[in-house]
Amino acid sequence: MLSIAGSRSSPITDPKAEIGSATPQKRCLRSDSARIGKTRIPSTPLPVQTSPLKRKSPRICVNDSPNSPLKVIEKSFTNSSKSPVKKRLSDCFLDKPAWDPSDVEQLCAVKEALHVSTAPTALVCREDEQNKILLFCRECVELEKAGSLYVCGCPGTGKSLSMEKVKEDIVNWATEAGIQPPDTLSINCTTLTNASEIFSKIVGRTQTQSKAKGSKLPLQDLRYLYSQKQHLPGTRMVLIIADELDYLITKDRAVLHDLFMLTTMPFSRCILIGIANAIDLADRFLPKLQSLNCKPMVITFRAYSKDQIITILKQRLMALPYTVFQPQALELCARKVAAASGDMRKALSICRSAIEMLEAEVRDSFSKLNLPSVESDDHQRSASCGILPKPDNNIVRVDHVAIALSKAYRSPVVDTIQSLPQHQQIILCSAVKLFRGGKKDATVGELNKFYMDVCKSTLIPPVGIVEFSSMCRVLGDQGILKLGQSREDKLQRVALKIDEAVVSFALQEVRFFRSCLQ
Amino acid sequence: MSAATVSSSPKITEKMARESPAEQAQVLVKSRICNPNFIFSIFSNSPDSNYSKLKYIISSSLTEACNNSVLLLGPRGCGKVAILELVLEDLLEEYPDMISVEISRQLCQEHQLLFSKMASFDDNAQFMVSMLRECGLAHKTIIFVLDEFDLFAQGKQLFLYSLLDAMQSVTSQAVVIGISCRLDADQLLEKRVRSRFSHRKLLFLPPSREDTERLLEHILLLPTNSSFPHEYVTAFNVKLLKIFADYKFKEIVDTLSYSDSTVNHLQRFLFSTVSHMDLKSGLLSLENFKAALSTIQRQPKLEVLKDCSILELYILVCMKRLEAKEQELRNFNAIMKEYKSIHDTFQTSNYYARNVCLRAFEHLLQRELISFEDNRGHGQSAEFRPVKLLISRPELYQGLKSYPSCPTILHKLMDRDG
Repeated sequence: MLSIAGSRSSPITDPKAEIGSATPQKRCLRSDSARIGKTRIPSTPLPVQTSPLKRKSPRICVNDSPNSPLKVIEKSFTNSSKSPVKKRLSDCFLDKPAWDPSDVEQLCAVKEALHVSTAPTALVCREDEQNKILLFCRECVELEKAGSLYVCGCPGTGKSLSMEKVKEDIVNWATEAGIQPPDTLSINCTTLTNASEIFSKIVGRTQTQSKAKGSKLPLQDLRYLYSQKQHLPGTRMVLIIADELDYLITKDRAVLHDLFMLTTMPFSRCILIGIANAIDLADRFLPKLQSLNCKPMVITFRAYSKDQIITILKQRLMALPYTVFQPQALELCARKVAAASGDMRKALSICRSAIEMLEAEVRDSFSKLNLPSVESDDHQRSASCGILPKPDNNIVRVDHVAIALSKAYRSPVVDTIQSLPQHQQIILCSAVKLFRGGKKDATVGELNKFYMDVCKSTLIPPVGIVEFSSMCRVLGDQGILKLGQSREDKLQRVALKIDEAVVSFALQEVRFFRSCLQ
Repeated sequence: MSAATVSSSPKITEKMARESPAEQAQVLVKSRICNPNFIFSIFSNSPDSNYSKLKYIISSSLTEACNNSVLLLGPRGCGKVAILELVLEDLLEEYPDMISVEISRQLCQEHQLLFSKMASFDDNAQFMVSMLRECGLAHKTIIFVLDEFDLFAQGKQLFLYSLLDAMQSVTSQAVVIGISCRLDADQLLEKRVRSRFSHRKLLFLPPSREDTERLLEHILLLPTNSSFPHEYVTAFNVKLLKIFADYKFKEIVDTLSYSDSTVNHLQRFLFSTVSHMDLKSGLLSLENFKAALSTIQRQPKLEVLKDCSILELYILVCMKRLEAKEQELRNFNAIMKEYKSIHDTFQTSNYYARNVCLRAFEHLLQRELISFEDNRGHGQSAEFRPVKLLISRPELYQGLKSYPSCPTILHKLMDRDG
């Protein structure tokens, strides 16, 4: 089967061009699948017991004649009991039958495929970076020289996942090439109670005899070790992957320095890969290394673009034998997330929310269908189920994704302001008026004066100072105002934390506030 | 309001048999008010409510064995913890193999203590991760409830990071529910932690007016199919419904919710009302509600003003006038000058000697209606030290109006300044 996948790679691209919707991503996916067919067994359990490679074959155009893919196509059709395949191959996404959200198994499978903790078998859109890192490691292992590398990028860009893959790849490659594979050590620096504990962990991993001399510090041990020529010829390299490197930053930055300096020692055997979010960590915290001309190589994992997000999502869904999303829905999600942060976790989370919207809708429609048929017998009920909405309605549409997006990116402030009790809304208005002129903060006493003015203009009796300061404290608890500390209530500093425009928008329905905020 | 629930133990029912129906009714309604589960169960019926949304999130995570996280936001006293407990109770019945862990604010503070010692945070984190893995293998889901979530987001947020990171792996099955009153609780998270926390938020708002009316009926109306005598129940309910329809009652509820519309506040109000119930007639009346309102909306300074003598009121009004004239140095001597000038202008009958006024002045100091500006001049006598007023203009005005025998001249003086 592996060889079939290999030979498929060239003819596959031509039928794709015939279909007409050849997107570059599809091509990279397929070659990727060819590669993974050689090196990996898929680790994520799929509900249907065939490997993802066979799943991909229904995508092959019907023009291909060999027998095996067609057999697989038939098998997948008998599995799905719902509507037949759409004839429009121009959009290959609708090749597969639509899924049935009321089927619990399918629902589970889809949700699992889109869950953050499901690691995909191959990381698409990160091949470039992975290749660079792999090349670097190979060079170090082959030439048995030490080196350091710094990986940076925003959260949710696939850094830790890529590192896991690189770890396995390098060991496999070394075993295949006949070189001694390096020892690997993955540390998440948040788990260290003390920054310098990292050295004791490294010592624990390297096979050193200096462990017998227990009195020295682990850092000194390592330094000593790496400054001597190795007497034992077979000592392995150590590949250290330090995640969340910024937790090692201490006030005097000594630990980070020493860690990277370890790779510069003459007989050092460690390959250090540091992962963090800041792009300029190496420049800011390791200035000395530049003078020594051994600054670590920096590889940036950029935030995902819209196309990359679409590719990744499609790759996850490709393993399933049915369509789940409308292509426009996926595109909307990818566009919004790429514009906001480019964080893959967010995109997956929004897809899952959209699926839940669809589930709720289907549930509602089922309950509506079942209500009138309560008195009828089973036969009639099954007949009414037969006239279910068309399969097209059962996939996740653009409106589901739109609702999920608005929920994710909406702040609850507007709703909360609208449901505040009246006096607290008046306090908010007076705060807006007080801070309009560019003033940053004021005391509670000044706010009270403005509040009483506003109350006077509406003939609402103002509350006393005690209740006023307790209401300010309630608003401060909710994060609408910021209260400072003071012994006296009246002298507490207060500042507005929400934008004036948000308050005006939230209170625009009420005529009084509208005129007040003019 | 403490959560002391009056359970229906045999002792209580025996006691209830000996009491009159009025007392029994009072006990029943009081126990309902003190039971947050009863109060919030009314909101759990509609499919759009927070109860059903939360139940759906947790139950789907349980059935599909996938990790999830959600944030419950809303002002204090809006039922976040109550509804969560309702949901968890129901789910425990449906799925008996659930474990729920409560991490409250106290543990977080303890945690901070551990932080400074740093002795075993690593061990704790390892323990938690291995426990998560064990439970994941055993197909049990752990539900973490983090109350006062914004307090966990202080400092380096190591706990949140390690918990959410452990949830990213396939081996653990956990649901993290954060409860906070800060609306921007998820903005407080570091970007790493925020990326791992899902964006799901449920907003708990104070009840609207219709919801408040439904809630009042739910709590106060006696059940018709209970052990109470039928005529009593009917009389009680009819009178209560008449009160609800009265516009004065609506005004009372409006005044109550002008400053605080949360359910907690309403609970306190109702408890006070039921305590004022007349046990002879056994029915609630509008006066009970009014009395409860006045106990809730107390004005302590006004109550102190009621006990003051007329001379003391004069002194307060003089101080107010000095303030209005923006006189810099306001001490006892200045007050006396003002007092004399009032007497000269209006020829009042009560003009007291200086030492009597000084005594009255000291009384006001003790009652904390005025106080010294600063604590420095201990050596000086009380006559020379500057003083400030601790009662505001509207409060003084209102106090004078409600004072039984206030001389009209004081009203005139206050009006003139206004």
